This record gives sequence, C-alpha cells and structure tokens, in this order.
Amino acid sequence: MAIDPATPDTGTGAIRTASGDSVVAAEPGGGAPAAGIGPYRLARRRLRRNKVALAFGALFAIIVILCFCAPLYADHIAHTGPNDNHVTEKVTVGGKEKDVVSVSGLPIGPTWQGRFLLGADQNGRDLAVRLLYGGRNSLEVGFIATFITMILATIVGLAAGYYRGVVDGVLARILDLIWAYPVVLLGIALGTSLALGGLSIGPIEVSGNSLFVPAVIIGVVYIPYVAKPIRGQVLGLREKEFVDAARVQGASSLRIMAREILPNVASTLIVFLPLMIANAILLEAALSYLGAGIQPPNPSWGTMISDGIRLIPSAIHLTFVPGAMLVLAVLGINVFGDGVRDALDPRARVKIKEKETDKVSDDPVEFAVEH
Amino acid sequence: MGTAPDYLDPQLAYTTQAVEAHWISYTGLLTYRHEEGEPGTQLIPGLADALPRISDDGKTYEFTLRRGLRYSDGTAVRASDYPYSIERMIRIPWGGRSFVTNYVVGAADFDAGRARSVSGITADDATGRITIRLREAYGAFSNVLAFPALAFVPRGTAIRNLSNDPPPGVGAYILTDVVPNRSFTLRKNPEFASFRIPDIPTGNLDTIRVNIVSNTNSEAQQVLNNQADIFDSGDTLPPALLPQIESQARDRFARKPVPSTFYFFLNTTKPPFNNEKARIAVNMAMDRDALSRIASGFLETDCFFIPRGIVGHPTSECPYGDRPDLAGAQRMLRDAGLEGAPVTVWGQERSPRKEYIDYYTDLLNKIGFRATERIIADTVYFPTIGNARTDPQTGFADWLQDFPNPSDFYLLMDGRSIQPTNNQNFSKVNDPFIQRELRRLNAVPATELDSVADEWAALDEYTARRAYVAVYGAEAVPKFFSNKLNFDSVFHPLYFNDWSTLSLR
Amino acid sequence: MARFVIRRVISMVLVLFAISVLTFLIFQAIPNGDPAVRLAGRTATPEQIELIRQSWGFDDPLWQQYLTTMGKILSGDVISYTQQLSVMSQIKQALPATLSLSIGAGIIWLFFGIVFGLFSAIKAGKFTDRALTVLALIGVSTPVFLLGAVALYFLAFKVQIFPNGGYVPLTQDPIDWLYHMLLPWMVLSVLFIGVYSRVLRSNVLDTMSEDYVRTARAKGISEKRVMVRHVLRNSMIPIISLWSLDFAAVLGGGAILTESVFNLHGVGQYAADSIQQLDVPPVLVVVMLGASAVVVLSALTDVLFAFLDPRIRLTG
Repeated sequence: MAIDPATPDTGTGAIRTASGDSVVAAEPGGGAPAAGIGPYRLARRRLRRNKVALAFGALFAIIVILCFCAPLYADHIAHTGPNDNHVTEKVTVGGKEKDVVSVSGLPIGPTWQGRFLLGADQNGRDLAVRLLYGGRNSLEVGFIATFITMILATIVGLAAGYYRGVVDGVLARILDLIWAYPVVLLGIALGTSLALGGLSIGPIEVSGNSLFVPAVIIGVVYIPYVAKPIRGQVLGLREKEFVDAARVQGASSLRIMAREILPNVASTLIVFLPLMIANAILLEAALSYLGAGIQPPNPSWGTMISDGIRLIPSAIHLTFVPGAMLVLAVLGINVFGDGVRDALDPRARVKIKEKETDKVSDDPVEFAVEH
Repeated sequence: MGTAPDYLDPQLAYTTQAVEAHWISYTGLLTYRHEEGEPGTQLIPGLADALPRISDDGKTYEFTLRRGLRYSDGTAVRASDYPYSIERMIRIPWGGRSFVTNYVVGAADFDAGRARSVSGITADDATGRITIRLREAYGAFSNVLAFPALAFVPRGTAIRNLSNDPPPGVGAYILTDVVPNRSFTLRKNPEFASFRIPDIPTGNLDTIRVNIVSNTNSEAQQVLNNQADIFDSGDTLPPALLPQIESQARDRFARKPVPSTFYFFLNTTKPPFNNEKARIAVNMAMDRDALSRIASGFLETDCFFIPRGIVGHPTSECPYGDRPDLAGAQRMLRDAGLEGAPVTVWGQERSPRKEYIDYYTDLLNKIGFRATERIIADTVYFPTIGNARTDPQTGFADWLQDFPNPSDFYLLMDGRSIQPTNNQNFSKVNDPFIQRELRRLNAVPATELDSVADEWAALDEYTARRAYVAVYGAEAVPKFFSNKLNFDSVFHPLYFNDWSTLSLR
Repeated sequence: MARFVIRRVISMVLVLFAISVLTFLIFQAIPNGDPAVRLAGRTATPEQIELIRQSWGFDDPLWQQYLTTMGKILSGDVISYTQQLSVMSQIKQALPATLSLSIGAGIIWLFFGIVFGLFSAIKAGKFTDRALTVLALIGVSTPVFLLGAVALYFLAFKVQIFPNGGYVPLTQDPIDWLYHMLLPWMVLSVLFIGVYSRVLRSNVLDTMSEDYVRTARAKGISEKRVMVRHVLRNSMIPIISLWSLDFAAVLGGGAILTESVFNLHGVGQYAADSIQQLDVPPVLVVVMLGASAVVVLSALTDVLFAFLDPRIRLTG
C-alpha cells in the first residue's frame, strides 16, 4: 500500500497511512516465492523492466555525483568557493564589464561562462558553486537523517513488536507523541533551540551550526512513520512457525530478531528508504526556509530558495535554480522509489503476471484502529 | 506596515512602528520640531509653555503647563496628570524607564516598590507648575522628557497594557479601532486644533488607517500600484521590487538616512582584537561599498560612531581611508603574528544583517583570520552577546538613537556600561580618555548641545583612530508613497514619516 | 464503545501532557533564552530584569513554572511574552483564516485526489496513468513554499490575476475572501492531490484483485456497479482516514508554510512567529491544539468506520 511522501507543509503527510497499514509491501521472504525464483531477484527483474523508474533513478544519481564533485567545479571551473563574496567586483560578459552586484543590490543573472555560470547571489557569491555545495549539504542531511530514521525505527519497531507488553506500550506512546506533534512545528522548535545551544548526546558534542543538528531532528521526527508499520509486521511475524521453531531450538530473542525477523521486514525497509530520503530532503528545505535548518553561511537548497524568494521578481534565478534542482532530485528519487515499491509489491501493478500466492498482510480490518 | 508595533499603549511602546503613531497622538512636556534633518532633532516645548528652566547645578527642571489643554476625550489636562503618567510608565513597565529611574529622585524607589509615588516630581494644578528633581546632572534629560512614553495620559488611566484600546492623549490624532497585529486607525483629534501649540501641526488628513501585512512584498506592491498610500519607513523595502520602484515611481520614492550606527564590535579584552593592529586591519580591509550594495543601497556609508544628523559628527577624513586595503590589512596581521587566529563571528538572522555577517566572515578569512559564523535568532541575539559567559569576539551591532544626543551613542563606549548580563558595550571599551571626556560632555544640557559640538567630534575622531569598532554606516529607510499623496511631507529623523504633515494631491 | 471513548480520552490527555512538557523543555534548554531579559529590553538594568523575573515567576522551580503556565492556558487567560496579549484572543483572530484554508483546500484535494486516483487506476498501465503518476509525483516533490512563491510571482506579480497574499474575512466580503483564498487552496492542494491519487490508485488496484470483486464480476454485475459498489467503497476507507488526519493537521496550524507564503495570518503562522521570538505560551497552545485536532479526528474516524463496517472492532 502506498507510503507516499510526507507533505512538508502539514507535516502529517500521507506517510501516516503507512503507519496505519500494518504491511507496506508484500513480504517476499515470508510468503512462498513464485516459481522458485528468489523474491529479490524477481523484484530486480521487474525493476529492470521499469525504464521510467530507472531513468529517474539515474537522474538522482547524476545529481548526487555532481553535488559531491562540488569542490572540483569550484576549484577548476569557477575558481571561487561557496562562501566567497565578490560584491564590488566586475565580471566581463560578452566583452562588457558588469557589476557582480549592482549599486542598488541586484545580483547578476546567469552569464553562461565559467565564472558566475548561473549568476550570483546578493553577496556576490557564485550561484553554481553554491548550488552544488548546497546540494551536497541537503543530500548529506537527507542521507544522514534517513540513516538515523531507519536504524532507530527498525530497533524500535522490532522491540515493540517482538516484546509487546510494557516495552510496546512505552515505545508506542513515545511514537504517538512524536506523531501527534505537528512535524514542522516540532522541527523548527527543535531547530531554533538546538541552533542556539548545540547538541550533546553523551560524549558527542555537536555545535549549533553543524549539519548534524537538522539531520538528527529530521531523523527523529520521521521515526514513527517507519517504526509503526515495522511493528505491525513484526507482530504478525512473531507468530509464524519459523520463529517458533527457532525459539524451540533455544535461540535468544536478539538472535531471533536479527536472524529470523529482520530479513522478513527488509523489503519494507527497502521500500521506505528512497521515500524517506525524498522526505528528509523536503523537510530540510522547509526547515531551512523557516530559518531552522542548515546554518549560514553554508548553503543548502532550502536556504538558497528562502534567500532567493526575497528577490523573486527581479532575480528569479536565485529561487528557480535551487528550486528546480531540489524538485528534480526529489522527483528522481520518488519515481525510482515508486518503481522499487511496484517491483517488490506486484499487486500494485496489473500488468505483471506473476502472482504472489498469498497476501501476508494481516487482515486489512485492523489498520483503521491501530493508531 | 509590515511589522506590528510592539505596543499601541504609549507608555509601553518602544519600536519605530509604534512611536511614529504616538508622537502625533501623545504629547509630553517637550517634543521635537517637525522638520527634516538636524533641525528635526531640536527640542521645542510641547504641553509646557516654554523650554525648561534648569537650575545651575543641572538638577532641577521647572515647567509650566499651557492653559486650556484637553485630552482627546474632552477632559481637562491637569499638571497632576504628569506625575501619574510617569508613575504609570514605570509601573507598566516601559522598556526605557531606566532613563527616568536612574536619574529622577525617588523614581528607582518607586520602581522597586519601596515608595508609593515618585518624590522627585511635583505638580501644582492651580499654577500648572511641574518640577522635576534629578539625583545628578544629566544633560540628555530634556531628550528623555520628549519621549512619547513620557506623554500625558489622564490620571486614573488603568495601569495595564491598553494596546487594544489606547488611552486618551493630547495630539493631532487619536488612536482607535485597534485590531491587534492587524490594523489600527488614526483619527484627527478635533480638540487639538483649538489649542494652537506653536510648531506642532494639527494634521491634514481626517483618518489614517494602518494595516499590518507581514509580507512587505505585497505592502510595497500595493503602494506601487496605488492601492495603499504609504510604505512604512520602518519596514525593509523588498530589494526585488527596487528596480521597478526606481523606474516607475521615481518621483515618490527616496532613501532617507536615519541617525543610526551599524558596526562590527571588536572585543578589546580578548584575542585577537585586544591587539590594536587586528582592529585596525579590519577597519582597513572593510569595503563599505560592498555592505551598502548588500543592503540594496539602504546604507549610507560612514566610518564614525556618531552618525550624520547628530550633533558631534566629525567632518574629517576616515582615519583608515575610504578605499578598502586588503593587502595592507593582510600585511598588518602577518606582522602582528595573528595570521590564522580563530575568530567566531556572531550575527542575527534577519536580512540583510545575516548577509552583512556572511560578508564580514569572508572578509576576516581573506585577511588571514580563521573565522566561523554563528547566526542566532533575532530575539536572543543581544541577550546572548551581552552575556559575559558568551563573551563574543566580534559580530554585528547597531544602534538606533533613543534620542538625538551624542551621549546616547557613547553609552555604548562607556566603560561603566560594561556589565555581566545585557552588556551594551560589546567591544568592552574602557578608555581613560573617553571616560574623562564623557564625564564632562554628558552633563551638558541637551538644549545647549551646540556649544560642545566640536568636543564631541574630537572625541569621536579619537575613537575611530583607536579602531574600537568597525563602523560601516547609517541605515537608510524608504520614503515611498502612492501618487495620491504629496511627496513633500516631513520626513523626521526620529519618527520617520510625519503623518501630521501628509496631504492629498 | 464507552470503553473506547474513555481509553481514547485518557491517551489523548497523556499525549497532550507529554507534548506540553516536551515543548516547555525545548524552550527551557535554550541558552540565554531567559524571557525576563528579553522582556526588559536592551537597555534594562540588572535590577529591572530581576523585578520582571520575580513578577512573572521566572525564578520559580521549573515544574512550578510549568504548572502555572498550564493553569493559565487551561483557564484561557494566558498572555504572550513579547506583546503581552491574550493568546486565546490572538488564536481566535487567526482561526478564521486557518479554517478557510483547511476546509477549502481539504475539499479540493479530496475531490481531485479521488478523481485522479480513480482515473489512474482504471487506466492502469496506460499513458494516462503514466502521465498522472508523473504529475502526482511532481506535485509531491515540490515544496509548497516554492510552489507558492512561484505561483505568486507568475499569477500575482507578472499577470495580476490573483492578489498578492493576505486574508479577507468571509463575513467582510465573501467574493474578496474567495478571491484571496483560491491560490492558497490550490497550492496547498497540489501536494495532497499527488499523495491521494497515488494512495487511491493502489487501493483500487488492490481491491480489484480481491476475491469478492472477482465473484461480483463473475456474477455478471455491470462494471460500473462493481466499481462504485465494491471497489470504490472499500478503497475509500484508508483515504478517508488519511484525509481526516491531514485535515486535522492543517486545521491545527500545520500549514505553516502555506500560511506564511500567502501571509494569511493563520494559526500556523502565529505559532511559527512565536517560535522565532521564543515566545513559549503561544507555541504551547498551538501545539496542543494541533495535537488534539489530530487525536480527536482520528478517534472520530475510527468510530465512523466501526459504524460503517461491522468487521472493525474498536480497540483503542
């Protein structure tokens, strides 16, 4: 069933559906695989046939590679760093000298040459360089946040689903708490607070302007959206024969969780992965727009857009360039993620002939009352 | 208006957005001439019949109330309303009340709850005489008396925030129909015209409706398209609309510098800026023109701490030149052995202040420091950098005059104002020469300021030579009207657009 | 049923308690966030700050400060730090804009989400489906503040067919209200339409492969009837429960970005402004309102489904 990207505006997002629905994707490992082909191989084969998804996946990959090559571009083509100001300098475009930033503060638009390829911002910084560095920051936040979400959500989901009882009760309440808190509000409250005070988790000290601050916030905020469906799935799995068999053989709880249950929720995690990356990037942009994301002078797509919006009518390139890049990257990973889901859950695609033998999901009746 | 006034209660208000409405609705004993530029900083009698009679020791101020004054609700103004108004201002409490409580006899006791009235203010309803006694001579006290927060309100006005239903006052306009954070209206006060107070206009327009739209973009567009009439000068004009405004509305748009100082403070008690060479290097390298562009032209560049339009502004050349000298600065740092010294630069979030800091951090890196940036929320910025535990090395600072007197600016250079919390002397300047001069100059009454103008200027040149701060200029604000209004209205240096001089075309 | 209601109420109280404590602590943790210093102003003396601290109770123990604030919130006479205005009356003022935004947009996104989702499912695999899928994903991938800003640029600045943000009360001028709300509605809806059409599409496809649908088809019931009677009805349940949550979130001030881009002065914008000013009381109130909207609406949805579908048990 659909786990569609959270909406960074309301913050609730439809990811919540997933939290209600106990099983996200069919479990290739749990059910009897069709015709003796491994479920993941089957999925890979289906994905390979989905050219659109692959193309968009490639688009995302290209953007990622470009952004991580930002220093190369900065050093060899633009010859300036992402935070270097060139306010009162001049640049020659088509034989004419032009102010990088005009006397009344208007930055130059795209020059389509090495220096200021896509224009400058109000501080006379090279927009193309900032775009790449900003992308790197946005992507890093997205990846780190997703990593945090996935790890913690898996642990929480496994523990809650497997132990049930008090553990489940406590964890479920904590998840409910994060879940009922308006996401963007929680994000900016934490962001504002942590940007001022920094963050210290045990021995790890993170200063307020570190990239990890927004990453941790976003990572934590999205935990319930992944943990809840995992928990639902684990609840079902722990009653299965192979789990009983392992238990009878004297395997410890940890071992059962790691060896027997985890592989069976892996497909759900795989389905979530690209979508969570997309959501994390979007939420980072939203937080940066509200001044609680990546800290200046470092760029991110979100901060660049929010700085650019001030100048929209006269210098639309400041908004359009990072905006387009953000949309392309998120769209790329979303379409690819959609393809991954289709590949793992063939029920959503009519044309595919192979049939899953049984639906492993618990009766769909339960979901409405879950949360 | 793009920013809501902090309070519409005259005795709570502090921000520009509020006082620009208050100074034409609430008049005190003294007020300012309704004129542009330096003449606008000149004190004139308001509800008092003349400038104060100040005793030789500078401690006693005597006034006589004009006769026949009435509030906007028709009740007569009595001299005894004045002590009540001051007490209300202290009790409520107004953010700037320390200007009064630090100087007026008994005001501090009243503020602390140790006295039931301010003993230093006496009033006689029969003669209309009002006497104010000070603990020590305080030259700028006449400026303090001209604050709208020290205006008359009727005795018995509730001592709580009346922003939603502002109390009656004496002034050309009445504040009514307040919808908090949305709108309010100024209606012409019919009573006021009959008093004929010299030099205070009685207003032309019958009603002025102020709408608060927190989107300055649409505010500017509405004025550009003549759907709204005044772009509030306290708001930042969206730089994006500038090209259009400058071409389509050239005859109804102007940048007006206001007496203010924008600077980077340089903590003189901490490395690297305890070294004068480091401070001078910053002053040498700074490209004020770049900062002006970042501010979309809304910065009038300057290198002196006392801004233009305030008595005492030096007329001499900048001690470290007008043109940036990056190479010289680099050399100076290298010679002082400060290359690679770590510096944390503090700044505010709002634009263009964040962009100033982006520029400044890059500049420090270029001349050889290892600078990193700390941008924090606007509201906690000054409490944070003013806290001894933060003890910041350098960062953004600004000062918009409380009143047009150089002593108000030098409060920030006064060694006595260094304090563990809420410090305002961010550079922690404690210079014996400055202290000695301030002791003398601060005692000169505001009404005789012109006599010491040269001495203030000499002091300010000294400060600039010592590079205690890196000043880059004064803020300019937009005067931007619709084509319905005449553009010749007064732009007051303190209260911006003088709404009482507006007129329709 | 009674048991369900009681359990839900208890869990709601718990969630609200935890959320308020969390919010309170987040703001307590801010260094130099002392509200007394901010209230006192830039030039205040230490004595004045101390006075404010005492009169506002900022030097009380933390738990006591929390209890005092919560007491004031529950009795409705809590005031904000920055402007010392009644928070409740501020919210009451902001509510019409938020209500207008959420109800209008809620209807639009539900309607178009269903239409596009159904269409996409019926044409599954065909070009229309592909095109709708990509469109939906573009909608989902575009940050609302970007979409809003670009829409304002083209539709309110370049071609001036829409106003440049702002809110006009319905009671003041219904036409002008509609005129001001149209663009925010559409911008906010785009993203939800994307989500909903995707959700509905996959639900419909799921349901169509269910046995009872196949049975119904085999019995020769017309395709239209099968779609409406069986497929649509069953696919709607998750859509409605999703809608109630999203609607609750927007209602509770969740549409911060839309509200600030279009400058609607709604509840969300009020909360965001208050966070920026570190003004705790309004933030507490809005966050609790938002959370209760989510909790209450999700409980109501559950009750509704229990009535509609006897197979669903209410097990809060």
